[in-house]
Amino acid sequence: MSLRSREPLIFERSVPGKVGMDLPKLDVPAPKDTRPAHLRRSGFDALPACSEVDIIRHFTRLSKWNYGVDDGLYPLGSCTMRHNPRLNEKTAALPGFAEAHPMASAEHVQGNLALMFTLQEWLSELTGLPAVTLHPSAGAAGELTGVMLIRQYHVAHGRKRRVILIPDSGHGTNPATAATAGYDVVELPSREDGTISFEDVTDPSTGKVRKGFMTLVQEIGSEIAGAMITNPNTIGVFEYRIKEIAAILHGIDALLYMDGANMNALMGVARPGDFGVDVMHLNLHKTFSTPHGGGGPGSGPVACSAALERFLPRPVVVKEGATFRVDWNRPESIGKVHSFYGNFGIIVRALTFCLSHGGDGLKAATLRAIVNANYIRKQLEGTYHLEYATPTLHEIVFDDHYQTKHDVTTLDIAKRLLDYGFHPPTIYFPNIIHGALMIEPTESESKDELDAFVDAMKKIAKEAEETPELLHQAPTTTPIRRLDETAAARKPVLRWVKG
Amino acid sequence: MRYLPLAPSEDRALLDAIGVQQAEDLLGGVPPELRLKRELNLPGQLSEQEVLRQMEALAGRNTVFPACFLGAGAYDHFVPTAIDMMVSREEWFTAYTPYQPEVSQGTLQHIFEYQTVICDVTGLEVSNASLYDGGTATVEAALMAVRVQRKRTTILISQGLHPHYLEVLCTNITPHEGLKLVTVALKDGVTDLDDLKAKLNSDVACVLVGYPNFLGCIEDLRAIAELTKAAGALLVSVTQEAMAFGWLEAPGKVGADIACGEAMSYGNKLNWGGPYLGFIAVKDAHKREIPGRVIGQTKDLDGQTGYVLTLTSREQHIRRDKATSNICSNQGLVALRANMFLQLAGPEGLKGLAEQNVAKAQYLQQALLQVSGFKAAFSAPFFNEFVTRYDGDVKALQVACAKEGILAGLDLSSYAENLKNCILWCATETTTREQIDRLVRVVSRVPSLVA
Repeated sequence: MSLRSREPLIFERSVPGKVGMDLPKLDVPAPKDTRPAHLRRSGFDALPACSEVDIIRHFTRLSKWNYGVDDGLYPLGSCTMRHNPRLNEKTAALPGFAEAHPMASAEHVQGNLALMFTLQEWLSELTGLPAVTLHPSAGAAGELTGVMLIRQYHVAHGRKRRVILIPDSGHGTNPATAATAGYDVVELPSREDGTISFEDVTDPSTGKVRKGFMTLVQEIGSEIAGAMITNPNTIGVFEYRIKEIAAILHGIDALLYMDGANMNALMGVARPGDFGVDVMHLNLHKTFSTPHGGGGPGSGPVACSAALERFLPRPVVVKEGATFRVDWNRPESIGKVHSFYGNFGIIVRALTFCLSHGGDGLKAATLRAIVNANYIRKQLEGTYHLEYATPTLHEIVFDDHYQTKHDVTTLDIAKRLLDYGFHPPTIYFPNIIHGALMIEPTESESKDELDAFVDAMKKIAKEAEETPELLHQAPTTTPIRRLDETAAARKPVLRWVKG
Repeated sequence: MRYLPLAPSEDRALLDAIGVQQAEDLLGGVPPELRLKRELNLPGQLSEQEVLRQMEALAGRNTVFPACFLGAGAYDHFVPTAIDMMVSREEWFTAYTPYQPEVSQGTLQHIFEYQTVICDVTGLEVSNASLYDGGTATVEAALMAVRVQRKRTTILISQGLHPHYLEVLCTNITPHEGLKLVTVALKDGVTDLDDLKAKLNSDVACVLVGYPNFLGCIEDLRAIAELTKAAGALLVSVTQEAMAFGWLEAPGKVGADIACGEAMSYGNKLNWGGPYLGFIAVKDAHKREIPGRVIGQTKDLDGQTGYVLTLTSREQHIRRDKATSNICSNQGLVALRANMFLQLAGPEGLKGLAEQNVAKAQYLQQALLQVSGFKAAFSAPFFNEFVTRYDGDVKALQVACAKEGILAGLDLSSYAENLKNCILWCATETTTREQIDRLVRVVSRVPSLVA
């Protein structure tokens, strides 16, 4: 444990003359200096001179201010913070994988190619879509790859389409991705059960009418390239008209993209390819247990229909008898999306997870995740406001409607949870629910842990009524208190500079 | 299943509390006709031992080369032992994006330090929290330059850019119908300044140059910067071998407006190409256009210094379709490894490592040039990679080397017509004199000289 509450920046610990790395004795002549004089490295202003001891202590102390899944429940909705099996780390570190060079020829990396091929087969069976690429580096990179497949499909058919439809409950990456791929985004409104509205929706406060799915299809159908839909959506509700949506889109030669961030609700239960999805991404760091690592690295494979297969990023792994090769000759490919073959080390971890679970284990995990989320829902219903009464799968979104009358907000509730020893849920997302508290417990939580969380949430609700100032002050048990984010953005200090 | 922490009795208790018979009763929201009516056609669950056996069998199908002379964007450097030990702490690898700064100060302070060391090695003022890899960092840098320049629509690319980065850039530029990619030719392995001059005009938003370039040659970045600046364009330096920053002047100090590239060399194994580490650093004036996550320093309610995600109004969760990029993660653990590596190396270590890379590559070049059939392809100075022309059969040479446990250099024949029978060689601080001498013995014996 760390008894220190502060750890200075490493740069403040630097003492010239200290070293953290000893170099081997040079067994060849010293280098000749062939550089033009103006390209000789002049020096460094920040790199610290520290010993290995200093640096290990520094990072060890820093690490102790982090909360991870191994510390306990981490119920960030839409992030699927499940257990990260250690076996995955062990397999990814096997020298055959870790020491493979990405420019080595196929005959020397048959194991890697077989591994890629095998994981593609698993993902294909899970999604019901015949073709898979493992190259995209993260969910957002998968989205971009998927939308570019849609674009290429239309280009190949000589069609110019400029619009992608995205529900107002969608992840922020969806519209950002569509824009990055050159599309205009048109928002689909949600109806009172939280699913996509086919009809126009009138905003009760402003009286503004937002066009529903059918109106948009009728009015701008010939401009629609496709729709990006998260299913189950960000409030944990299955878009039950998804097959109908797919059929209508296909009727106007548009395609259906599914954001697979919430695939942990569907494994072995339902397959996107079976309900009309043309292309989707998966998050190996969510659904397949690879570590989130404080923000990455992730991996965002894309699965697609046979009609889109020829556009997949190159190169593609091809099986010929018992051997594998890398096929670069893909004239209709959208091109490369990663410098090499994607985040391979993450792909090794994901296959390890698949083999450990098996098809039966993956389904069991999905069902377990749904039960856990519904247990929390049942326990907290009434204590926290639920905007939509619709049945939910792997996550549940409450809000602060009951607490705001005591001048307590979602932010206060989240910060108070820290004092009770829990990482808070995702807050203020999705945007369609004011003051959202989006809870996804995953299958990794025991009954004790769920009960402890429920207990903390109930106590906080009580405190909101009786002692709201406790919540306004929270957190008080963390290494640091609430931080001034406004000041940080107004006068940004983004690096250390020698004083 | 070892990863599911519920006994059957607890399972029952949860279902009873919810008021259902079985878990399947909670699938009411999924219309029955959309559910999978069979079991998944996948193998059943396995113990650790069984999984490990299968994975070891796969890993065993790869060739592990005791000696590696291949680089080309992926470099075999030594990884200090402390890095694996430190990174394996659960607090680093089981945490997520630092959305709650009060319980994420470890990650946040680390990224602030990472941003500082990336600014230091590149000589620029603002770094983000990292990007996916060298190829996608190049894309983000080019798109950022176009945003900054507003009306200019041409991106000039030196032909010395890594061909994979160029292809990733092409993939991502394709949807932007108004943008043009124009390549600038090489002359003797480096950017042809006359061709650059001829192609620079008032529509050029930015110039992308490899530093060092794909062929290992060291470009005169300052001369390129002067021409670029005179035309009102931004200079983007793209570095695929970040270890070179211990040898070469920081791009920001010789005129680059944006420095980007691949920093896997800082503390990572080859890992067959990923996860790697895209980096980007820019001038202070452009900080609000930088893509991806950025960490800033601030104070808490008690006046204590702390760190938060900042400048978030650029990002997708706020701006949605108006964001500077769709990226909503960073390379987390890989950036952590790079930060640890640079801190362990320090200024002297990074310079020393870089010098060793140069020394080994120079020795390798001299040794190869003494073998008949090898000629230097270019005269430009190099860091740890260089090209030789070879009169023999490149494939036969690679096969002969592989038989001896040596991964030979890259056959450049397929990359350009004038690179036929050229080999890109690499040596790093891990290359030993004994390995180089052995390589020379092996290639000397390759018989198939073309008449």
